Amino acid sequence: MKKLLFLLFVGFMVIGFSTVLFADQKNYGCGLGSMAWEGNDGLISQVSAATTNGSSGNQTFGITSGTSNCTEYETWTFNQKVNVFVADNMDSLAKDIAKGKGEHLDTLASLMNVPQKDKAAFSSKLQKNFSRIYTSEDVSAMEVIRNIEAVISST
Amino acid sequence: MRHPHRVRISLLLSCFLVLCATAGGKLCAEETSYLDAVLKEAHETAVHQDRYWHTLLHYKKGLFGTRSLVDDPRFFLAKDGKYDPEAELDAFIRAIFRNEMKDGKPAACRFVARYDWVKERLRLDTSRIPAPECENFNEPIKSFDSLLGEMQPESVTLAFPDAHINSPASMFGHTLLVVETASKSKLLAFAVNYAAATQETFGPLYAVKGLFGFYKGYFSMLPYYGKLQEYSDIDRRDIWEYPLNLTRDETKRLLMHLYELDNIYSYYYFFDENCSYDLLFLLEAARPSLNLTDQQRVWVIPLDTVKDVVKEGMTLGAEYRPSQTTKIQHLASLMSKEQQVKALKIAKGELQPDQALGQEISQDEKIRIFDLSIEYLQYLHTRKEVTTDVYVERFLKILRARSTLGGQDKEEYAVPVPPRPDQGHGSSRIGFAAGSKGGSPFQEISFRPVYHSLLDNGKGYREGAQIIFGDTALRYYSQDNKLKLETLDVINIVSLAPRDLFFKPISWMVNTGLTQRIMNDGKDHMIAQLNPAGGFSWKNSFLGLYYFMIGSSLNVGGALTKDYAVGAGASAGLIRSITDFWKIHLYAKDTYYGVGDEYNYFEAGLMQNLVLSTNSSISLGVTRSRTLSFYQTEVKCGVNLYF
Repeated sequence: MKKLLFLLFVGFMVIGFSTVLFADQKNYGCGLGSMAWEGNDGLISQVSAATTNGSSGNQTFGITSGTSNCTEYETWTFNQKVNVFVADNMDSLAKDIAKGKGEHLDTLASLMNVPQKDKAAFSSKLQKNFSRIYTSEDVSAMEVIRNIEAVISST
Repeated sequence: MRHPHRVRISLLLSCFLVLCATAGGKLCAEETSYLDAVLKEAHETAVHQDRYWHTLLHYKKGLFGTRSLVDDPRFFLAKDGKYDPEAELDAFIRAIFRNEMKDGKPAACRFVARYDWVKERLRLDTSRIPAPECENFNEPIKSFDSLLGEMQPESVTLAFPDAHINSPASMFGHTLLVVETASKSKLLAFAVNYAAATQETFGPLYAVKGLFGFYKGYFSMLPYYGKLQEYSDIDRRDIWEYPLNLTRDETKRLLMHLYELDNIYSYYYFFDENCSYDLLFLLEAARPSLNLTDQQRVWVIPLDTVKDVVKEGMTLGAEYRPSQTTKIQHLASLMSKEQQVKALKIAKGELQPDQALGQEISQDEKIRIFDLSIEYLQYLHTRKEVTTDVYVERFLKILRARSTLGGQDKEEYAVPVPPRPDQGHGSSRIGFAAGSKGGSPFQEISFRPVYHSLLDNGKGYREGAQIIFGDTALRYYSQDNKLKLETLDVINIVSLAPRDLFFKPISWMVNTGLTQRIMNDGKDHMIAQLNPAGGFSWKNSFLGLYYFMIGSSLNVGGALTKDYAVGAGASAGLIRSITDFWKIHLYAKDTYYGVGDEYNYFEAGLMQNLVLSTNSSISLGVTRSRTLSFYQTEVKCGVNLYF
């Protein structure tokens, strides 16, 4: 009897504990829940995805994670890195532009080869023209880049 | 694309005797003799025992001799390569000479770091071996050199996303490497991550499989901004970045080894061969003089690997990157309650941004309100508390209003940097104490392998998070001349996540193990227990962090009449820092057991901790408990050392 109870106890302990702790965990940590990025695509293909394959400009707001795996489109005025970066960071970039500063905006400026001395003017110009850049709820990344280009080339 | 003829011709040229050079696999006589000479030298100088060869192949000495920790057969060329460093080296040297293919490309191109090192170590005359044609293979995986050209790596940072307060699976934090490129932007750097690949969603199965190596671990690499979205925005974890002093050459070597590990698996073990441990091989590959993978402990905690790397003198300071949650809390702390409520209402769509714009408050106040509402709206969206459609519309509306207000140049937005996690107390603890229980004096020695309790010095650790594994206390009662196991906390986790205007988390605790408890004969008996509980906690400057919880309890033990008891109860307590070095925990809990044995257990206590130094403290505790009608008081004083 004691043995049976002990086994029951151990069973209860393991199931109870792990259910409490690990139920419905979505985790990227070092723990049990560590998930490789999107299954386990090879890391090299990820480098390639990030450095060479452009993602299309059809990504809209609401993308909170993930690199876009969309079909390629023709090289835009700026290089492919700009396309990928804007498509992957639509929300954060919009936020930075509305505030007139931020790490994502700085990165965009570097990718677009804006000289250091002009960065403040670049940021403030984009901020003032926020509504011209993010024209609607379903604006695409490609449109955003096009609009940014239109804003900075206008005087 | 090169013409196939060219390959043939280059092979012909690289061979001195034209006669035998008809196919890639065969060798001419001179090459054969050169191969023999090289193999001989390799054997004579025992190159396979070289530490760097063991680093690159992940060889470690175990109970049953040397074996590689890598489990994927594609990582080895020799049949017995996993267990035989010498056979593997021989096979690799032969593969170089014979231009053998591995994974669709020449072995020398697939295993670039090995090739580079063997060439150097054995001073190979490259004019006498076939030149590996790495660029010719139009594989999904590019050659290392062309990837290097694309990435332009410059330096490496070790990133440590802190534990997430309410997520046990990430309770120890995580480490990853960030490879910075010529572009200088942190966001565009590459995050190198080692993790278990699984689609398992059933928690318990997940836990068991993770513990016993059922999952395959793979390296992955993606832009750092993607990782930041995961950790900082979705998972709400602060990140510490430790720039490393690796040179450009060392960085290149790190990537060469990473290239070899592409799509190669090792079985993943939560406690030792985990995300933090496998990254260390990359650092050793980068700088051969390092010795990080011969760890002393049987478990690998991410924070400990960070400490090891700091100890090696590899870090150039530490930078703090607060999570979105931390930013929200900081922003809110700058504002009055009234303004916080406005931000909350805007984020929830109860107040239109234009209305807020029209109000008669200062420009700075408006900016703060909008900035807070933007962050909070994003938080609501990642928590799926608003749909994407609603989110997008509201988000744009707030941003449009915010964009009319101009910049914010004040430094006030910068979140104050907390103490560095690597400068906190050691993750194991040993304690010596003396006291009296029910009038009977005792001496106690205790050992806690892992990790942090609510009362320990909080510097560098998350407030309100307690993670204890295997805490064991042995007591000697001099009156009875008896040595007793007093407690064994197999697991004792407490997560107190305070609720405020913006965040409404659940607090919880679970503890299981063995303890001595006074039973109906009025004497102490060993019982096994499992006590899960859940509730709420709050924080204010007067009370500190305080909590209320309800929970259940299971007792099993021979001293119980029916061998077991199941009960329910409630607990409350508060944890407050009186000064920098003095912390108290005052608590009470009451449990009624109704199934099995019927009895009531009540306990109240005041525990105190006085910090002497980062790795030492004094603890003082008084507890009073009651089982049925038996009262017992315990007083204990002791010293704790952390290491």
